[in-house]
Amino acid sequence: MITAAGRPVAVHQFLPALNPHDATGTHTLKLREVLRAAGWRSEIFAEAVHDDLAAEAYKHWMYPEHAADGDIALYQFTTSSVVAPYLAEQGLPLILDFHNFTSPELFAGWEPGNETRAAQAAEDLALLAPEALLGLARSTYSERTLRHAGCRRTAVTPVLADYARVTAAPDPRVAAELRDRRAAEGGADILFVGRVVPSKAQHELVKALWTYRRLYDGAARLHLVGGTSSYAYSKALYDFIVDLGLAGAVRLPGEVSDTALAAYYEQADVFLSLSVHEGFGVPLVEAMTAGLPIVARGAGAGAVAQTVGDAALVLESGDPAYVAAALHRVCTDDALRRTLADKGRRRAVELQGEKVGHQFVEAIAGVVGQP
Amino acid sequence: MAEHTGDTAPDPEDPGAYVQQVMAEIAEEVRLRRASGDLPPRLERELDELFLAHSPIGVRGGDLSEALRLVDAATFIDPVVPVESERAAGAAVKKGMRTMLLWYVGWVTHQMSQSTSAVSRALHIVDDHLKELERRIEAQRVPDATVVEFPTSVPPGAWWIEPALAALAKAPGRVLHAACGNGWLVRRIVDSGLDAYGIDPRAPIVDAAELGALDLRDEHVTEHLRAVAAAGLGGIVLSGTVEGMAGGERMLLLAAIGVTLAPGGTLVIHSVGRGAWEAADAPYGADLAPGRPLRSDTWCRVLEESGYTAAAEQGPDGSDYLITAVRTGLTPYKQPEPGIR
Repeated sequence: MITAAGRPVAVHQFLPALNPHDATGTHTLKLREVLRAAGWRSEIFAEAVHDDLAAEAYKHWMYPEHAADGDIALYQFTTSSVVAPYLAEQGLPLILDFHNFTSPELFAGWEPGNETRAAQAAEDLALLAPEALLGLARSTYSERTLRHAGCRRTAVTPVLADYARVTAAPDPRVAAELRDRRAAEGGADILFVGRVVPSKAQHELVKALWTYRRLYDGAARLHLVGGTSSYAYSKALYDFIVDLGLAGAVRLPGEVSDTALAAYYEQADVFLSLSVHEGFGVPLVEAMTAGLPIVARGAGAGAVAQTVGDAALVLESGDPAYVAAALHRVCTDDALRRTLADKGRRRAVELQGEKVGHQFVEAIAGVVGQP
Repeated sequence: MAEHTGDTAPDPEDPGAYVQQVMAEIAEEVRLRRASGDLPPRLERELDELFLAHSPIGVRGGDLSEALRLVDAATFIDPVVPVESERAAGAAVKKGMRTMLLWYVGWVTHQMSQSTSAVSRALHIVDDHLKELERRIEAQRVPDATVVEFPTSVPPGAWWIEPALAALAKAPGRVLHAACGNGWLVRRIVDSGLDAYGIDPRAPIVDAAELGALDLRDEHVTEHLRAVAAAGLGGIVLSGTVEGMAGGERMLLLAAIGVTLAPGGTLVIHSVGRGAWEAADAPYGADLAPGRPLRSDTWCRVLEESGYTAAAEQGPDGSDYLITAVRTGLTPYKQPEPGIR
């Protein structure tokens, strides 16, 4: 589609914050390339732009300087933001690219600020969804949320992510440290990657480790990779770990580099997720890409079961006894490990690559016309 | 790690069945572990309690009594501060300061403990009163009506579909059908050229169809309408919904419709009559419902007093009827005074 001025229609992306090494940031930058390659003009406008990406995006309030007839707004919906009411005021034809957000109840009692922001996000969604031409969701779980908010036309498209980072050369120092410790102590290395927040339920992982060590493998270790946005939860988690006598067995390295992350995926025996809310679960796909078997809670965990498909041991609950038995089986049954790794790699291929970009182009062209 | 020696081996032709078999073996392993006493149930409870002990008070306690127990535990403020120190003279310095300041700090903390204790006592009295009220209210609680479908509510016996579609033809906006079931009427409305969606509280029925081409949602009608913008709907169809409602629930539904149905919008109500409701072959939900169907002329009267022009059409065998009403103004629904007729 060409505007009256003879230029291709623009599909501009708007989002709350553009950050490097962040799933939404990576997705937004990759989608811009996909949109441009398809023939649309496309720029990024954000409420906050990280210094490292200052050349990649404009502040959202600078949009009028770039506005043209026929512009389409594509909003990366991740949390509450002033960008939502700003877009409602602009009245542009709107596409929601919905990454889901943690419901306020999951922050209740922990972080009043996060609880308030999550409640505001629900209001932002109620404001924009009924007006959207199209809602793109990462999973049928998120698609239901969009439909319930009033979005009339929806499609499911996976996230555009940089999964190659988990198979790139791992940080040799981190890999050697993990390897040496295992050689000295024995025991399995259990990995989870995700922010340390109540909805990821890292305390359930600690309970599972405690049970696993008691019943099956007294030397097992748990690696909880990821930063935090909840001091109260992090503090409670750390004190819980100390009280259980697991200070030497649970490591909280915080946010790590891509190469260090690759080392964790390479050295771990199993990826364990007991999260109670995932709109998609990029780390699950990273684990599958790395050939790491997954044990995960499925029921009540959002999109986890859909993301992993049949390529993981998906449990009905986070019951520590059940989780421990599943970990034991995965860590000691080579045939099962091979089966899960093979199925995981195949499932990961389904969720990445050029075809994902094509899915976005087809869905968007379906409502705004071919570029 | 020891190699697992289970019986199951992967079948290259059917890896899915293999994983299912593994899951079953894991469940059996858990059962045996529990039966052997390796993992007493109290252990998991103790793990939960230990984590909660480190959590903020807001995360703990599911009710007021539990929260008050935590308040009671935190009521006493200890003025005797710990004096341990990693530095050589640190403990002696801290102890000296504690001794010097204890008369002052102790006086302040004593008053704070007294104050907190008084507040806690008052809250306990409130808690006792609330519990007594809950006990009394629970005994008199009127349950919400469920969807009750008669043969005339759904195809092929639903004679009222064509008149309903005709009434909706000029609906000035989106049409809602409650209870929509699998979306059979929503599809008919969409096929007639209108924009429509459906809701139904029966989750298993809606779940199967929710993400298809039709917009169907697993929601209760009154709760849903409360979330819809004022004058946001051009038409509302109620079938299998209103017959068993008690007066209060029906009043709340009509109030919500009064807010969400745009002026000029159409309200369609299909209801069975009292004869069908009381018949021996009526669905069991009719017996359990807190209310009974209104007469068709009562519906017309109630709607006309609430700003609608309403008409009733009786079904071919007289067992049910259809109300079609057009909203003429924004008069909010009001409960009729008893004995007004």
